[in-house]
Amino acid sequence: MGEQQPEQSQAKRRLSTAIAMLLFSSHRLPGVRGYELRRRLGKNYLKVIETLNHRLEPLGLKVKILFEAGSDGGSPEDYDRARYFITLSEPLSLSEIVAAGWRIDELAVLAASLALLFSRGGKAPSRDIIEVLEAKLPRWRVEASIERFIRRGYLFKDEDGVLHVGWRAIAEVGQKELVRAVAEAGTTQADQPATGTSSGESSSPPG
Amino acid sequence: MASRSRSIAREELLRIIGICENIEKSGLDPFTVDVKALLVRLRRILETQKSLETVLLDAETLYKVALIIALQHKWLRDRAASLFVDAQLITVKILSADLKTLAACLTSSWNPIVFGEQLTKGMLKDGLDYFLSLPTRASKTMDSSHDIGQDDGLVDNVVNLFYQDTVLEDEVRRLHCEMLETVGDGGRLDYWRFIEREGLARRAQRAYVVSFIVSEGLAEMQRNPLTGEIYLIPYSGKIERKNVVSLPISLGAGKNG
Repeated sequence: MGEQQPEQSQAKRRLSTAIAMLLFSSHRLPGVRGYELRRRLGKNYLKVIETLNHRLEPLGLKVKILFEAGSDGGSPEDYDRARYFITLSEPLSLSEIVAAGWRIDELAVLAASLALLFSRGGKAPSRDIIEVLEAKLPRWRVEASIERFIRRGYLFKDEDGVLHVGWRAIAEVGQKELVRAVAEAGTTQADQPATGTSSGESSSPPG
Repeated sequence: MASRSRSIAREELLRIIGICENIEKSGLDPFTVDVKALLVRLRRILETQKSLETVLLDAETLYKVALIIALQHKWLRDRAASLFVDAQLITVKILSADLKTLAACLTSSWNPIVFGEQLTKGMLKDGLDYFLSLPTRASKTMDSSHDIGQDDGLVDNVVNLFYQDTVLEDEVRRLHCEMLETVGDGGRLDYWRFIEREGLARRAQRAYVVSFIVSEGLAEMQRNPLTGEIYLIPYSGKIERKNVVSLPISLGAGKNG
């Protein structure tokens, strides 16, 4: 029993280190890269992440792994280069998000922009997106919202004025779920959070 | 005649490159390009024009066509992955849905990232330690930083100020009352003497709180530019200021610095 004590305390310390690294970011992007976790937690860092995932589950949180474009998690190098975040495991309801300070029209702009971009392979000229959204909101509001989402990392605009899906949207928004929800809009009731899992280039740590 | 046909071929190749680049940049459907017809045309140009410039341009065009084929491959893969939902259908649905429905669509597929952005006591201490360890640009500045480092617990006191349980407002109120009680002749008191009343260890903390009192308009600061003396003039209530200026004071330099 006495021999297990240092191991237990070491495991506990590793979990604390992992959660501190994942939650507190000192730079612009939240989360950490796999190789950063490896450096602090050792080569079995994926085991630590898996344990952390089990601990987070009852709290409604989970560790999400975002692989780099082109990799699918087939090799340890993919996990080293991937970015690790903590996200909510279930989507919030519309009223909860509005209570958190988001405006409905801002959410609508983000939903429509992402749905259009997803349906067009991840990028489209910004004027095309603005033209569609202009039918529902004043142009200045659409442009201001898009600028805000570019700053927050949900969208990305290149020098040619082409909008792309941003890294944060890839990490947070389920592509299939959003496109399906928009395609089925009008037939489902609003303000009901879905319980499906998110998709995209992400996964849970391997068992 | 040969130069004219060469120029026509060149223009045609540039046009093809332009089309390919446009599709590549704008994310339009890459299947709008008839790759087979383009390749036939490229072969015909290459057979008739053998100049180095045309061959190079032809190679570049071939590369762009290859990129379009790669885009077509990606397009197909994306469509298969998203269960083939047409962009046109999505546009129509967006136009017909109300804002609340669109917002609900997003919330049903959104798992926000959870992260914290907070300056902790440790981070602040690390920052100060780093700042003090930086090489100085002038000997005077070096002396000042040396003074700060030597001042017993000064850094810790400043850090503790961000961490303490006492509400800053209470501290502001306490020092303001103290100012009013100790005010001397002419309704003013010496700044350095006032902030050092509780000893050197509390000097930085008192200076920090005094800056709030002055900013709030509960006291005025007077500085004699000739002697460098600084005086505080406390008021019982807040005063309105027309002109506001900032007055940086280096504690390390001390009253004589």
